[in-house]
Amino acid sequence: MNRSGAWSRARALPVALATAGMLLTGCSSMQQPEVQGVAVTFEDPGADPGARCDLLAPATLAEFEKSESAACTEAIEQVPLEGGEVESVEIWGGNAQVRLAGDTLFLTETRAGWRVSAAACESRGEAPYDCEVDGP
Amino acid sequence: MTEHSRGFVRDNALSLAFGGLFLATLVGQALSGAADYNAQQIADGLEPVSLLDYVTSSSFGVDVMENWQSEYLQFFLYIFGTVWLIQRGSAESKKPGEEGPESDEEQRIGRHATEDSPEWARAGGWRTTLFSRSLGLLMGGLFLLTWAASSIAGWAAFNSEQLGRRQDPVSWLGYLAEADFWNRSFQNWQSEMLAVGSMAVFSVYLRQRGSPESKPVGVAHAETGQTG
Repeated sequence: MNRSGAWSRARALPVALATAGMLLTGCSSMQQPEVQGVAVTFEDPGADPGARCDLLAPATLAEFEKSESAACTEAIEQVPLEGGEVESVEIWGGNAQVRLAGDTLFLTETRAGWRVSAAACESRGEAPYDCEVDGP
Repeated sequence: MTEHSRGFVRDNALSLAFGGLFLATLVGQALSGAADYNAQQIADGLEPVSLLDYVTSSSFGVDVMENWQSEYLQFFLYIFGTVWLIQRGSAESKKPGEEGPESDEEQRIGRHATEDSPEWARAGGWRTTLFSRSLGLLMGGLFLLTWAASSIAGWAAFNSEQLGRRQDPVSWLGYLAEADFWNRSFQNWQSEMLAVGSMAVFSVYLRQRGSPESKPVGVAHAETGQTG
């Protein structure tokens, strides 16, 4: 009897699940510093409006300027960005969510790196967050 | 091509043909899936992804796994179901009265095994018991494995969509309670049950000349379990 063969078959499912889990968490943990860095820089109280607008995803920037009927650098100064300590980071595929003590942001992965797709977001339970800065 | 390799291809034509078709259709799914995914990305104001990014994404993973799990469930249920359930007149069924695992003599196991019987059919004990159910157990095991993989890939894809919709992600257990998981499962399961059920009934009244999935053309509709 091949005991090692029986062992490997008996553990095939847990090993496959663990590998899948590691792939899922491994990929996201590699990206966490960049995602967190973009969110913290965007919400930094001393951040330059131009630097904040550069961190917006293209579609969000266009939608924000359209809805505010103003240049992003002007309009962004009217948005309450509370910032604060990072409470959690969730990364799933090309989308991420960063919870700060004073705000919740959503980010998307672009060719230029991670960019803010929504900010100044307020939870509405199971309904989508209500965000002052958001894409189409 | 040597005579030996021609013999190999002929001897394994069915599995080689379906293996090739599987790979071709998987490539087709990857190409069409990436195009569909990118069309949605552009509609949402997001950037398209490369083919490599797509085929390594949870979105592609769940689309593949949810189909695999239902196929293995179908075969698992069919293999075990046809031990005990018959369909009078069907080429897919045993004859009425033959329900059950049958005798050792009929199954050629233990002391009824022949010289060319597989080793575990002759061995007796747990090895023969296990080997006697190995096909169904493998299908059942593959179903559980691919269903678990489907739940993990589906969870990741669901959470990515949740974030895209500005909603909170859920835990894996939370995903198992989501309608998305059960909708993906049931929509695949129902089609497999329909395919198996209709095949069992159609083979009572219809024929495919030369196919072992059919009765011989001239065999009566009431005749059960004949293949030609």
